[in-house]
Amino acid sequence: MQDAILRLDGVVKRFAGHTAVRGLTLAVPRGGIFGLLGPNGAGKTTSIRMIMNVITPDEGTITLFGEPASRELSARIGFLPEERGLYKKMEVLDHLVFLGETKGLTRHDARTRGSRWLERLGLRDWEKRKVEDLSKGMQQKVQFISTVLHEPELVVLDEPFSGLDPVNSREMKNIVLEIAREGRTVLFSTHIMEQAEQMCERIVIIARGEKVVDGAVADVKREFGGQFVALTFTRNKEAARRVLADRTLVARVEDYGATAEVELAAGAEGERLLLALVTAGVGLSRFEVVEASLHSIFIAKVGAEAAVAPASEATQARRSEVVHA
Amino acid sequence: MRKVLAVVRREFVTRVHTRAFLIGTILGPLLMGGMFVMPILLSRQTQPRRIVILDGASGSFGARVERRLSAEMRDTVGAARPRYDVRRVATEPGRLAAVRDSLVALTGRAGAEAPGPHGILVLTDSAVATGRLQYVGTNVGSPGDMGALQRSLGDPVRLERLARAGVDPAIALPAMGPIRLSTLKVSEGRVTGESGGSSFALAYIMSFMLYFALLIYGMQVMTSVVEEKSSRIMEVLVSSLSPFEMLLGKVVGVGAVALLQLAIWAGTAMLLTTFRVQIAGLFGASPTAAALPLPTVSPALFLVFIVFFALGFLFYAAAYAAVGSMCNSVQETQQAQVPVTLFIAAGLLTMFTLLGDPSSGLARVLGLVPFVAPFVTPVRYSFAPLPLVELLASAAAMIAGVIAVVWVAARIYRVGILSYGKKASLADVFRWVRTA
Repeated sequence: MQDAILRLDGVVKRFAGHTAVRGLTLAVPRGGIFGLLGPNGAGKTTSIRMIMNVITPDEGTITLFGEPASRELSARIGFLPEERGLYKKMEVLDHLVFLGETKGLTRHDARTRGSRWLERLGLRDWEKRKVEDLSKGMQQKVQFISTVLHEPELVVLDEPFSGLDPVNSREMKNIVLEIAREGRTVLFSTHIMEQAEQMCERIVIIARGEKVVDGAVADVKREFGGQFVALTFTRNKEAARRVLADRTLVARVEDYGATAEVELAAGAEGERLLLALVTAGVGLSRFEVVEASLHSIFIAKVGAEAAVAPASEATQARRSEVVHA
Repeated sequence: MRKVLAVVRREFVTRVHTRAFLIGTILGPLLMGGMFVMPILLSRQTQPRRIVILDGASGSFGARVERRLSAEMRDTVGAARPRYDVRRVATEPGRLAAVRDSLVALTGRAGAEAPGPHGILVLTDSAVATGRLQYVGTNVGSPGDMGALQRSLGDPVRLERLARAGVDPAIALPAMGPIRLSTLKVSEGRVTGESGGSSFALAYIMSFMLYFALLIYGMQVMTSVVEEKSSRIMEVLVSSLSPFEMLLGKVVGVGAVALLQLAIWAGTAMLLTTFRVQIAGLFGASPTAAALPLPTVSPALFLVFIVFFALGFLFYAAAYAAVGSMCNSVQETQQAQVPVTLFIAAGLLTMFTLLGDPSSGLARVLGLVPFVAPFVTPVRYSFAPLPLVELLASAAAMIAGVIAVVWVAARIYRVGILSYGKKASLADVFRWVRTA
């Protein structure tokens, strides 16, 4: 990848007692939306913190805009950390102006842009109020505005949609898509595969600090191959379970309850499965031959147990952040 | 640099806009004004002390004491008024105790028509010889009252002794006239017209202003670091500002607020002292009554005070910021800040040592010790301007101290602001300082 806006090369980060990131190498191309996926405790937040120069890697190099990562470049990056935080006692617009100034905007510019964003996200009436008077969702919006206020070339969002209701979540997604349409780059992390599937052009999946999958979403799915069928049941799920247990027909089942994703066994055809299900008296509202979902790719590559990282590691990654910045 | 200014402005504006700052700023001058006006109002209220002289002594001793006490005047606003309302009761020495006890029963009794006496002064012949007099009363707990009474009794007792030795009171009386030492302070080669008392007052006021400003605003720096940590805004800040920029901006911003408040307070104090005669006049006081031991502040002293306050603030605020970065909650800081606070208290305590001899060798050495120099040098300067060399040496020592503390604090801060979980141990802190 020639025109990478961000490049990690053999990055390692150790904390007391465990290694959070093990030799991570990845390249984020300029433009578009890039997903950094992985279960809780996989090392996503640690990687993002290293990219943002909050902590420094123990080994390996990080290159931003073709230069070694440094705080000098922070004006070109917008950053939404996993743990949100604002000064509770500050007025909303003043707060945006302050954060804009730390990114190199002039006071005047920061003020006009801040007003415009607040207007757009329906917070106009709140700009003179203190941050602590806002609801949690509104505070999230304010923080989101602060990450894009200075029109950065690269926007890094750590779990951007967590804690947002569907309406706000859609509003944020639209902004992210808009940034990508303008040719700027968005890197976001999530542990919700469906989100990434909807938005990302390219993804990297990491687990236990290591890269497991890397590439354009379409390529990843094609390479993964296999034949998948998405099912939605209306009745008689018990019978369906017996049919799906037939290993000559079905290689693996991802059971979601009312729906399921099925990987057909080698040589088996979708029609045979449909016939078997109908014969068994299973009611279906959906039967669709599809590509593998990121979720099933993830399960296949990492194993179901990695989806739930050991509790001790996950908590350690968050708690014992002894850093040498 | 623009980023640092943004931090400075944020710290300054958000603090100056708080109600606490407004109240503190108004309350300071109000208290000062109150300290000035209250004594005037109080002295106006004070009634003469009713004293019964229980005279069991022979000769004219009792009459002498009565004359003397009746002549004592109180420096009151407007016109001078008698200090005592005296009645003399002559008794035989044998019945002294019985009469005293019956008078004691009346003492302190309230009532508009016949209020009881405040106290009873017992005179005996042996008292003339030994100088031991007895006063029983309700106001014996007042050092002012008792001091005045004791001073008034000195002359009549000595006169009585001389008279009994055969000295003519006409000779003895003028010989015992009072001696007054008038003290005038020399500053910068000129007599300033200030009394010694005002120098003390100035040293006290300056030291306490420094003490409270360092303590209150130093703690504000510490608390705001902890709050930035616990609200997690630290992560956003760290990604765009270097820890040193954050530390510098915070300390300078809070320091500017402290300076503003001190300037308002000092300005009020200067106005009060400059116009004290007029203000006293508003309350009906005479110009002499307003001649309290209030100091005047020279511009040079003001400058020294401000410079050493600023250096002292950098020194201590950086230390407080480091303490804040080591803690996860305001409660945790309670314990962790004790060492820093003790050093500030030590600075205040040195002032009392200095009052004894501000030009001693010890005082000179203390002026070179960074953590007490912010107190020592302005106080010494207030007694007498220091030679330029000494002033510069003290400032240089202070600057060196500030650089050392800021260097260490910045290293602790840099790591501390991003470490959550358990409170940092001393060993952790040493490791943070050592790592490059």
